[in-house]
Amino acid sequence: MSDTKSEPVVMDHLVTLTYVEDLPPNTVRFADALVRGRILGQRCPQCQRIYVPPKGYCPLCVVLLGEEHDVEVGDHGTVTGFTIVAPVRYYGQTKTEPFVYASILLDGASGTLGGQDVSGIPADKVRPGMRVRAVWKPAGERTTEGQTARGWGSVEGCISSFEPSGEPDVPAEEYREHVI
Amino acid sequence: MPATDIAIVGWGQTPAYRRSDLTEPQLCMTANLEAMAHAGIDRRDIGFTCSGSCDYLTGGPFAFVANLDAAGAWPPISESHVEMDGAWALYEAWVRLQHGDIDLALVFASGKSSPSNRLELYPQQLDPYYLEPLGLDPLSLAAMQARSLLEAGKATERDFAEVASRSLRAAAMNPKATVSGEKDADELLAADYACAPLRAHDVSAVADGAAAVILATAARARQLAEHPVFIRGIEHRIEVHQPGMRDLTTSSSAAEAARRAGLADRPVDVAELAAAFSPQEIILRQALGLGEDVTVNPSGGALTGDPVMATGLVRIIEAARRVADGSAGRALAHASNGQCLQHNLVCILEGA
Repeated sequence: MSDTKSEPVVMDHLVTLTYVEDLPPNTVRFADALVRGRILGQRCPQCQRIYVPPKGYCPLCVVLLGEEHDVEVGDHGTVTGFTIVAPVRYYGQTKTEPFVYASILLDGASGTLGGQDVSGIPADKVRPGMRVRAVWKPAGERTTEGQTARGWGSVEGCISSFEPSGEPDVPAEEYREHVI
Repeated sequence: MPATDIAIVGWGQTPAYRRSDLTEPQLCMTANLEAMAHAGIDRRDIGFTCSGSCDYLTGGPFAFVANLDAAGAWPPISESHVEMDGAWALYEAWVRLQHGDIDLALVFASGKSSPSNRLELYPQQLDPYYLEPLGLDPLSLAAMQARSLLEAGKATERDFAEVASRSLRAAAMNPKATVSGEKDADELLAADYACAPLRAHDVSAVADGAAAVILATAARARQLAEHPVFIRGIEHRIEVHQPGMRDLTTSSSAAEAARRAGLADRPVDVAELAAAFSPQEIILRQALGLGEDVTVNPSGGALTGDPVMATGLVRIIEAARRVADGSAGRALAHASNGQCLQHNLVCILEGA
């Protein structure tokens, strides 16, 4: 061992990994329909659950699903749960004001869309059971942004937020299974 | 303690796709459904599930969790995952079945290599101080191993080409293979180097795909299958990580795994070797003492279809297929992890 004390040498070593993904057929159909203003799901022929976005299979029944299982669901839905996020500043954060992050059960779907913006109502007035409808981006501005092969698709490229529809609130027993 | 007899009673595999647009869970479910149908079982009969995959390949943190969709994880199941080739998932399931409280296990493995660039990605699995900063990629490592073999006088480039020629010809009979063809060694040797001394034919056809196996205890296996394929021995051994500290021209870990798996007890008719580079087949044949009378890689082997992370499990399936159809009385399946055959598993299969 050397007697002389020396400072450890610290060096930066940055790694970049690049992935190029293909979207699975179910997500391609979902994205195509969304750009045309329609929301697609897939119905499992065994349990009749409707997955939105479509997964290409039912994980509960272990059944592969194809185009023949595609169904359209509504663009109105019910808020089943929400969080009000007070944004802290970090790299990449674009929000500055508190915003709502809601789970929405679309009419006809068996599960919720998570992380949706709710607009047109003060955050402190948002409530579970509240009825909302999709605010579609103008046809020419819709994109496939957010569609990846890792999740199961996203509506963010075509639906900017959900706003109150004016329909009466839904009683808790109708969405209790979907509170998340 | 002598091991309890465990048998393979079903299997499934997707083709080894050059590039698939299906997600990893979709590929896995395809293989799992085929394996369960082959074994004639319902997923609710399965007592333990073990999978093998690598999140780095698809680039999704915890990608292996989504793969569980393919096994039907509700109501909750007993399961485990190895960040290794699926042959090691089979090893874990084999150990689990030794407990004797369950009689069926599902093993599945998957890999999607197409989204990433492996020359960029694979250095990340190497030691981060001495090897990874060099950007030491799998092709260069395999070329170093091939060069060692040539310089030791243990093989020639023509020997490499002969391995490739035979594998491509065999793959013509394998509907799951990625590449196949009729090319003799002279024709192959006329090609330029991909990474000297390796030519393109010496490098496996990296693929996207999944494979699945159903394991059963002996009693359950006899109920389920007319010709269950028994695992007579299964062992794995690993060598040091630094390639510079090993003799790359041989594989002491493969030899030791084979010895402990009981390879020497009786001769094998068939060997399926997970040699992702043609020189590795030569190294493994020598290390395992496989003579000319052993049919090596009748499926075409890893060289003609390499769904990374499932490739070793596919070798077990291909060996089991030959035992089940009677074309082999006893077969060896080999799997490998790491660079330059660092970690090797040997599985010996026999009919009843």
